[in-house]
Amino acid sequence: MAASRDDLLIAIRSAFLKKSTQQKFSLLTLVFISIFTILLSSLDFKIIRIIKVGINEVVYRSSFIVSIPENFLKNTYIEIVEYSTFYNKYKKSNDELKLLRSGNVENEIIQNENKELKELINDYITSSDKLLAKIIVDHNSPFLKSIIINKGSKNGIKIGTNIYDQSYLVGRVIEVNYKTSRVLLLSDLNSNVPATIAPQNIQAIITGTGDNHGQIKYIKDGLSDKFSEESIVYTSGTGAIFKSGIPIGTLKLFEKDKKTGFNVEFYSDFSQLKYVFAEITLRKDIQNSNNSENQEANPIEAKIKILEDEKEIIEDSNIKFKEENDLLKIKINELNDKIFNLNLNLSNQNQKINQFNLDREELEYLRLNLIYSHKCQTRKLFSTGYKVGTPEYKECILNKGKKINE
Amino acid sequence: MSSLRSKGIFLRIYSWLPVIILFISVLNEFDLNYLNLDYFSFNFPFILIFYFTLKDFKNLDYIFVFIVGLFNDTVVGLPLGISSLSYILICISTSYFRNITIRPSPIKDWFYFLFIVSLINSINYSILTLFFSFNLVLMSYLVNTFFTFLFYIVFVSIFKFYLKSLND
Repeated sequence: MAASRDDLLIAIRSAFLKKSTQQKFSLLTLVFISIFTILLSSLDFKIIRIIKVGINEVVYRSSFIVSIPENFLKNTYIEIVEYSTFYNKYKKSNDELKLLRSGNVENEIIQNENKELKELINDYITSSDKLLAKIIVDHNSPFLKSIIINKGSKNGIKIGTNIYDQSYLVGRVIEVNYKTSRVLLLSDLNSNVPATIAPQNIQAIITGTGDNHGQIKYIKDGLSDKFSEESIVYTSGTGAIFKSGIPIGTLKLFEKDKKTGFNVEFYSDFSQLKYVFAEITLRKDIQNSNNSENQEANPIEAKIKILEDEKEIIEDSNIKFKEENDLLKIKINELNDKIFNLNLNLSNQNQKINQFNLDREELEYLRLNLIYSHKCQTRKLFSTGYKVGTPEYKECILNKGKKINE
Repeated sequence: MSSLRSKGIFLRIYSWLPVIILFISVLNEFDLNYLNLDYFSFNFPFILIFYFTLKDFKNLDYIFVFIVGLFNDTVVGLPLGISSLSYILICISTSYFRNITIRPSPIKDWFYFLFIVSLINSINYSILTLFFSFNLVLMSYLVNTFFTFLFYIVFVSIFKFYLKSLND
């Protein structure tokens, strides 16, 4: 019994420590190095990150070169299959193209409107640039669904950069090296995308299943009854991990244990990807560059500051208007006084003119009276004239001695 | 003279073939996963490392096995060191098995391989889920283990042929 235990111990010790003639390290040393490496890789030190990036660059490039023959065979097989179904696909694509063209104009209008509204809400403009990237490694591991693209930090790729196939969402960048990046596909189990299901407008989280479809998670009970196979899934933009409004896929009905469920059928076939687009987003504040330093990242605070500034400007202009108003009032009063005085003068002058006219008429009457009084005066013998002082007499004088009857 | 030299180079490359194939298989992820068969996958490096370390193949240095592990982690996207630990554990198990085996038998090797692959995949799964919070499908691991076990006997016959040709 003791001897067999000794044999076992010797065998184990030998397995761990014995080095063959060719071996440079004992297995125990390598086990310790492996554990040490695991511990280091779990820590986020700068030096480890740099070493990791270096290793990644070398390994990804080597993997790409090594995969060339296999990829060639794979692509040839795919091309042969595509050629055999080429005509049918062409006809189907043509019909789809006609439909899409008609819908495209409408989409462009909506996109522009959406962009304007977003600018109004956020106080910043986002300009995005889609960068074409080639997939250099796409080994379909059963455990992790990821791809390697040939664009890295040199090209402006960051962790979280959204990756597209045409305009469909494929995944996001989870690891960035200098010239390469790793993209976590939507089908990976670790992928979670906040999404909206239209037209029902239901918010949900789409998680990967490890297969070529997604799963709907975290929705209220009963809401799934509203789903139909026409429902489409697109990103909601919640959490700011993904941009909002990017199409993901459609709902697909399935039955399991006599229960109806829904999966998300992705628009993009992740196993057929050759090139993808990486969206590099640049954010630009609307405010002047001088003010931007003082501006907080919070848009509400920025808005309050703008409103306060506006209020100050309005108050200043109000005070100015009041002062101007007072000045104008004083001027109006002065002018009114002037007008009153002028009116007074005018009435005086009018009076004077009237008096002058009266005097002139009187003078004229007196002059005519001296000349024609003998013609208009009444006489005792001949009663043809008028009595002095009567209106008829005055009229006769003014008519230069002509009597009314004549 | 030159034909002898070229023959020598060819022989040298031929003797290093398992190491070259190991590196290529890791960089290329040679596992027929692109066939998109449900759950189908197998681990070729496990088979190769197990067989050649069990046979104490002189050119398969443990340090290569360790480096191959690092490469595999980089390609697959696992935390660095996980695959290296798995591969080194295979080497330890084969070394131990070699020490305790008096009369080798292919069937015994095969079932020992199943035990070792199951154990290592369990360790792998536990580390990834417990320490690195990875979401993994257990069924994929089980199927991977099963197919790796099945394919072992197929590849072993090819490897035997290779070793025989090398000795000749």
